[in-house]
Amino acid sequence: MTAAKPTVHIVDDDASFLAAISRLLRASGFEVRTFSSAADFLEQREDGAPGCVVADLQMPGMSGFDLQSVLAQTSNPLPILFLTGHGDVPSSVRAIRDGAEDFLEKRAQKEKVVDAVRRCLERDANERRSRNQVHELRARFDALSTRELEVLSHVVHGRLNKQIADDLSIHERTVKLHRTAITTKLGVSSVAELTRVTIQAGIFPFPPLQQTFPKGQ
Amino acid sequence: MSLITIVWSMVASCCFTLAAINLLVWIRNRTAWANLLFSLTAVSLAVFTFFELAMMRAGTPTEFGVVMRWAHVPLLAWLFSLTWFVRIYFGAGRLWLAWSVCSLRTLSLVPNFLTGVNLNYMRVTGVHRLPFLGELVSTPQGIPNPWMIIGQVSILLLIAFVADASVTVWRRGDRRKVFLGATIEFFLVLGLGQTMLLFWLNIQSPIIFSLPSLGMLAVMGYELSLDVLRASQLVRQLQASDAQLRESTSSMTLAAEATNFGIWIRYLDRNEIWANEVWRSLFGFSITERLNIDYILQRVHPEDREAVRQTWTKAIDGEGKYESEYRVVRPDGQMRWLASRGSVEFDDCVPAVSRGVTFDITDRKKVELETDRLRQEIAHVDRVSMMGQLASALAHEINQPLGAILRNAEAAEIFLRDPSPDLVEIRAILADIRKDDQRAGHVIDRMRRMLKRNKLDSQALEVTELVSDVVAMVRADAVARQSQLEIDVPECLPRVCGDRVQLQQVLLNLILNGMDSLNGANRDNRLVRLSARLDEARTIEITVSDTGQGIPAEKLHQIFDPFFTTKTNGMGMGLPISRTIIEAHRGRLWAENRSGGGAVFRFTLPVADGRISL
Repeated sequence: MTAAKPTVHIVDDDASFLAAISRLLRASGFEVRTFSSAADFLEQREDGAPGCVVADLQMPGMSGFDLQSVLAQTSNPLPILFLTGHGDVPSSVRAIRDGAEDFLEKRAQKEKVVDAVRRCLERDANERRSRNQVHELRARFDALSTRELEVLSHVVHGRLNKQIADDLSIHERTVKLHRTAITTKLGVSSVAELTRVTIQAGIFPFPPLQQTFPKGQ
Repeated sequence: MSLITIVWSMVASCCFTLAAINLLVWIRNRTAWANLLFSLTAVSLAVFTFFELAMMRAGTPTEFGVVMRWAHVPLLAWLFSLTWFVRIYFGAGRLWLAWSVCSLRTLSLVPNFLTGVNLNYMRVTGVHRLPFLGELVSTPQGIPNPWMIIGQVSILLLIAFVADASVTVWRRGDRRKVFLGATIEFFLVLGLGQTMLLFWLNIQSPIIFSLPSLGMLAVMGYELSLDVLRASQLVRQLQASDAQLRESTSSMTLAAEATNFGIWIRYLDRNEIWANEVWRSLFGFSITERLNIDYILQRVHPEDREAVRQTWTKAIDGEGKYESEYRVVRPDGQMRWLASRGSVEFDDCVPAVSRGVTFDITDRKKVELETDRLRQEIAHVDRVSMMGQLASALAHEINQPLGAILRNAEAAEIFLRDPSPDLVEIRAILADIRKDDQRAGHVIDRMRRMLKRNKLDSQALEVTELVSDVVAMVRADAVARQSQLEIDVPECLPRVCGDRVQLQQVLLNLILNGMDSLNGANRDNRLVRLSARLDEARTIEITVSDTGQGIPAEKLHQIFDPFFTTKTNGMGMGLPISRTIIEAHRGRLWAENRSGGGAVFRFTLPVADGRISL
């Protein structure tokens, strides 16, 4: 969306570590912004700005974990890298499970830190790209009428036109008309492609594959 | 047979009977001297009765004189035994009077046998026949012997002696003996009066001394028999109380044995010690072994010996009571803990006997020692887990400056690769490195011991249980500090997931902080309130609030910093550690000020949902 350079957002209540890590990352070629608390960061960051977050785990007020969960709810969920004064296994497991890119000690090797930041930025770029794609797809799906969406849900679940007509109490020919409209609006050429973009856009909650393709069929 | 013969024979036989009974009493009980003397009195009277009868029957003055002369012998015996009876039975009377009576009477036998016809007459001139009890009896007529005065003085002295003895017993309050004394006096005066009239004034009358004497004897015998009766009653009572005593002794022994009480008595005057079987077995002495204080002390554990000796000495020197607990080592090498309790009985301020009980407290001691050990262990565990928290907080603290130093150095290296490095930046970096190095040094100074971090022992916990355990720990403290502790935890709260000990430490820390903040607060308003509620669906919020001064607004953020403290003796670790613990439990801990004054600390804990993971 924006062409801005990805920024590493560093959040740490310890001013001197904040200065040191920002120097290092700047010297390593990253764009850096510093915040002395999670609240400051959430308040002051640019909307939609690409990049990542490097945060301390233990901070007064909103902790690193708090920040992680709040950030995940926003429209711009930047990947997060935790740097901690003293890590313990339960905390690191929790951080990673909740989606953190990495969990490193503040005195971890420079290369590890820089690599992790780089990975974070790549991940952000990737996620951003796929988010954009989904966004674009969603825009296409937005053009579908309610009826068309209804038909689509049956189609992607592998139902035949006749079955769909029965289920919706409409004529089979009407079903065909809806399908043509759907493929045209979404710009797809096959049912397989239709299914793929539908899943990608996350339009319907899909049941497990096994039920979609029962044995013996 | 004549009436006189019958009466006088009966008098004699009465006397003999009484004599026999009391003689038997004396034979059975050789210390009953009063009974023997009474018996002798009775026998002499009986003998005298025969002489009296013979005098009444005497036909000639010569015969009369001879009988009368010999009659003085039983009379002497009678007087002797009566005197000493009074002396012994009354336990009173002047000895010199008694001896005077006896010696004068004995002396009177000299003129009796050497002057005139007897003590009473120089010469009997004639014998009158007087009618008495339906027959004629002889009565003498003659010239009185002046030596007779000796005998009569002896009777007078006897009267004085008995009077003296009676007064003494009257003073002692023994009414019965006073009555006996008065009776004796009455008959003595009666007898003396008769002889005076008869011998000095030649009044005609038969000599019937034995009849009043029998009366006197009867009263004496009655008194003595009462004594015998009382003695037998006493014996019965004694037997009964003896049986009771034996019963209570045996029940005491039984109780002592049932409870395994060792009983001992130490006779301090004789330096002897008696102890029952249980006591002996406690110390490992055999039943027959002689005991003395040194042997006993030898059995006491060397480390306790001096203390035991001092306890004994103190008790004997005046405290009177003692209690001690000590170890004994038996000959078989077994060591037991014993407790002794005893008292010393003083006889005129001199310690005479000490007695007491000794019992085995080995099991109790074992439990006590085990409890002590456990308590120490628990305290250690507490300390360790607290120190673990401390260590981890310290590690966090020191990693901050070290991390900053490292990152700064790395940045400087990169900057220096530049052909024209930014020296201003590098100088700033070096200044920061120096500053952080000092900061790390301060942390290290405070870091005395680093202990390994304890693993979280996570389990589902009842909030009420968690709270009540902590409240039990601080209840006494709250009372001592005159602070009120109010608990408001609903029963129905879902369980939380966490480490019991660590969460209790947090609660403990917050409650104690709350009570600390009450120092100097108004006495009526010293309250620490602990409450819990279900906050959101999956969170329990626990609140500890106080009515203290609250926290200055600018310090609200600092209080969770390590080493920040508002207390003079505070380490500044309690709250950071508490926060570390709560955060490790996926909860939050924060502080606020109450609108009405005082501080509120709140923390949240996730509800346990069967799946325990941290």
